[in-house]
Amino acid sequence: MTTSVLEPAVAVAPARRRRRPRRGAVASTVLLWVYAVAALAPLIIMALGSLRTEQDLATKPLGIPTHPAFENYAKAWSEGGFSSYFVNSIIVTVGAVVLGTGVAVLAAYPLARYRFRGQGLLTAYFLAGLMLPIRLGIVPVFYLLNSIGLIDSRIGLICVYAASGVPFAIFVLTAFFRGLPNELEEAARIDGAGELRIFAQIMVPMVRPALTTVALFQFIPLWNDFFFPLVLMEDDKYTLPVGLTRFVAEFEAAHAQLYAGLVITTIPLVLLFLLATKQIVAGLTAGMTK
Amino acid sequence: MRKFCTVITALGVVLAAPACAPSTKSGGDKVTLTVLSWRPEDTAGYAKIFAPFEKSHPKIKVKFKPIKNTEYLTVLPTELKKATGGPDVVQLKPYGPIQSLISAGNLAPLDGQVDVSKWDPSVLQAAKGKQDGKLYGVPYAMQTLSVLYNKKIFADQQIQPPTTWADFTAACDKLKKAGITPLSTSGLQPWVLAIDHQIFGATRYGGDDFAKAALAGQKNFTDPDYTASLDVTAKLKPYYPDKVAAVDYPDAQTLFTSGKAAMYPGGSYEVGPFTKTNPDLQIGSFDAPPAPGAKVNHALTSGFVDGSYGVNAHSEHKTEAMELVKWMATPEFGQLYANTLKQISAVPGVTPGDPLLAQTYEGFKTHGATYMMVVDFGYGNPLGRDQEGEALQKMLSGTSAADAGKLVQKGISAWFKPSGG
Amino acid sequence: MTSTTEPVEVAGPGGGSTRRRGRRRWPLLLVFLLPALALYTVFIVYPLVSALQYSFFDWTGTRQNGFAGLANFRDLFTKYPLSEQVWRALAHNCVFFIGTMLIQTTGGLLLATLLHRSRRGKRFLQTAYVLPHLVSPIVAGYLWSLMLNPQFGAINAALRGVGLGSLAQPWRGDPHLALPVAIVINAWQWVGFPMLLFAAALAGIPEEYHEAARVDGASAWKSFWQVTFPLLTPVLGIVTVLTFIGNFNILDLIYALQGSKGNPAYSTDVLGLLFYRTAFENPDANAIGQSSALAVCMFILIFGISAAANRFFRRMEARLK
Repeated sequence: MTTSVLEPAVAVAPARRRRRPRRGAVASTVLLWVYAVAALAPLIIMALGSLRTEQDLATKPLGIPTHPAFENYAKAWSEGGFSSYFVNSIIVTVGAVVLGTGVAVLAAYPLARYRFRGQGLLTAYFLAGLMLPIRLGIVPVFYLLNSIGLIDSRIGLICVYAASGVPFAIFVLTAFFRGLPNELEEAARIDGAGELRIFAQIMVPMVRPALTTVALFQFIPLWNDFFFPLVLMEDDKYTLPVGLTRFVAEFEAAHAQLYAGLVITTIPLVLLFLLATKQIVAGLTAGMTK
Repeated sequence: MRKFCTVITALGVVLAAPACAPSTKSGGDKVTLTVLSWRPEDTAGYAKIFAPFEKSHPKIKVKFKPIKNTEYLTVLPTELKKATGGPDVVQLKPYGPIQSLISAGNLAPLDGQVDVSKWDPSVLQAAKGKQDGKLYGVPYAMQTLSVLYNKKIFADQQIQPPTTWADFTAACDKLKKAGITPLSTSGLQPWVLAIDHQIFGATRYGGDDFAKAALAGQKNFTDPDYTASLDVTAKLKPYYPDKVAAVDYPDAQTLFTSGKAAMYPGGSYEVGPFTKTNPDLQIGSFDAPPAPGAKVNHALTSGFVDGSYGVNAHSEHKTEAMELVKWMATPEFGQLYANTLKQISAVPGVTPGDPLLAQTYEGFKTHGATYMMVVDFGYGNPLGRDQEGEALQKMLSGTSAADAGKLVQKGISAWFKPSGG
Repeated sequence: MTSTTEPVEVAGPGGGSTRRRGRRRWPLLLVFLLPALALYTVFIVYPLVSALQYSFFDWTGTRQNGFAGLANFRDLFTKYPLSEQVWRALAHNCVFFIGTMLIQTTGGLLLATLLHRSRRGKRFLQTAYVLPHLVSPIVAGYLWSLMLNPQFGAINAALRGVGLGSLAQPWRGDPHLALPVAIVINAWQWVGFPMLLFAAALAGIPEEYHEAARVDGASAWKSFWQVTFPLLTPVLGIVTVLTFIGNFNILDLIYALQGSKGNPAYSTDVLGLLFYRTAFENPDANAIGQSSALAVCMFILIFGISAAANRFFRRMEARLK
């Protein structure tokens, strides 16, 4: 489905004897590293800032924490409310990813491997969601959740989030299901296995790598989203990004704690990325096969 | 789904229980009123304020539920729309913003329920329906606008609170030379600039007389007196912090509380938080002297009603909610409110315990002006305050006062129809 | 290839239709399809359709009054300040899109091309470029507003530190600078994404193509434009469409950086922010009607253009093949 980009480049030809390879190569290396520093600098400033004291930050905007002020984290975590925002984020994001991927894998299977009337239309109906600006439905979403008693509820937010991930998950998973060989399935069928069993015990295990990609790729935007919880949730159920806006409004001048809050919000994703670079990159580049 | 809702409600009750721990078991038929507010920072204060009420009304428990200021206006209409479980008493922004809630039937009228016979009609105006003239809230606080200053810096620099514009600019020059930012303000937030304009420009445009003429349609915002008053504010740029256009509201506050700036044009609502941030800060207040060419030849203390408390029309405990707002119109509440939260109570006859606030409130009563852009022109889209702030932001980056006046006029005339003339 | 005795037919290249037998599998299909269909329809499609319905009604607060025809749409384009804000926000979105395409796409292409040829530290570099993309736009907004703070921020302090204090600017406060600054921040966050897409495409181009060009005596520059670039056009198409969708949906970053009003003086106001304000911070009683009308217009703009662009690029791709 996708080309794994982070594999060592095979394309570098061994016989590259050019007239002035050195100057060009040096310039390009310098440029690449300079930009890497520029890309990382804000994140480094964020990490350092979270360990400096308030006075230190106010007097010297740039600096290195000589005595790491871990109390910034402690304060942000307890007084700033980040502990509950963090828990909310975990519950909502994990819940939505599991639900969204679960229903999508069910739907993707027949869409890819069965033949039935309206199949093409249904596939198009789901895939249209890839381009739908779903935020524009926020006002009706609010009234919908309000009328079924799911406003200010993590379950309500999980449903909206899960639904938002369905098109992409179906898109990736149908492609995967289509690429699977028929032999195993047929053998199972001859053995008299039911359709649901074939699906659960043979097909799903074979698309596991795609499931990881889909799940990870949904995780990132949902973890980072701020618009839906801003409107649909109340303060004690805020997720991290909205929690940040609340923190900023309440403790306006607490820059060091704000830095700590930013790190708390970002760290899980960075860890996830470093652990699963390949799958995330695969997810990011999945749009290529569209 | 119904069952599910019950489960959620039950869960909510269980989770809320620790918050009202001591007395939940005592009375089974106790009513808990939810008070929705945009002041998370006042949570502890309100607990103190409501304690005597709960004592005198043993069947009522008051739960203060704060929501972030910037999201309050988003949350409030939807909270009021809730079929069940909505708040009972809600904090309301003054003047314009409550009108759509009133016309949507979200608020219960208070006429005949709350005794406001001794109240100043101009104070009650903040909580009245523009269309039906009914009262929908009990105003709880007044805010005054003046120039706050750091007493220690003034003493060190041997500066007296100025009484003439020349004294004022001389003081600013002196401070600037000493490396101190004379006036701290935020150019990034339009509403802060509008407040600066009210403080420094009110004398120049003519205070309430101009507001009356504008309401009657005899004058508008392209009037030379008004545009000159915008100019007065924008011309103070050299005395504002460096790169004032990018200074955010919290930065402006920090500059003043950390002693890097000597003066802070702002409201009485800043005094409490400032003192909390820096307890050693000695804050004084003076009214901006009449600006050059001023139409009013003495200083003005501007003021406005900060907001009110109203009753949700669909409250499940309307009778009890009425009890609470009735109490909020009594001097008992007024005094508690003023003392606990360091604010100026709107209840007649209550004096602020804080000497600084008492001083500014006295100023408002003896030589006051209304905060025109909020009190008189805060009823449509765009709000007068926002439009004026935008015009001032443009002036900070070079737009002329005349063009800024035109912009303000354009915004106001989009919805405002003069009453006469 | 498919066993026709089975109730469900597996789709395959040669798979024929067995509709008569198909009847029986509807319950099974429902089990598979219904959860996703219900979730997606109820929480995504239905609200968008409702927004369309809302836009044709007059509202007072949260109370729906009578049918209003196109009055809400007329308000959008004739009623000040909306009439002015809509066009200004649209213009800012366009500037944002063009600016982002220029900085982010060329940047991404440049980084991918250079990276493709370099050998050392490739993995680290790629990670460095992609990391900002993982950060929540809200975090990016607050982080940069801390750094751009004129009094306590790192950027102006760094400029002063190296003796370039005269270059220190009111980055967020100057109406002429605020939007470009937001574009650069957005590009900082997103550049890793086109870079990855281009890198994937580059890795798929066989080295023989370049060899052939080299044998013909083409310079590296020429070989890039004549061999590599044409092969990248499909990716460029995808990048353009995705950048368009991303840019016209932008809200979080600007909200964190400049507040809901797109300070200063609305100079960073964009359609997403305007929609939010019209829906939730609107002093007009008819906020729901107006915001729904705006939502419908934005929907047509975003969905329409991206669908059209998608088709266009697909056709171009087909022609290239």
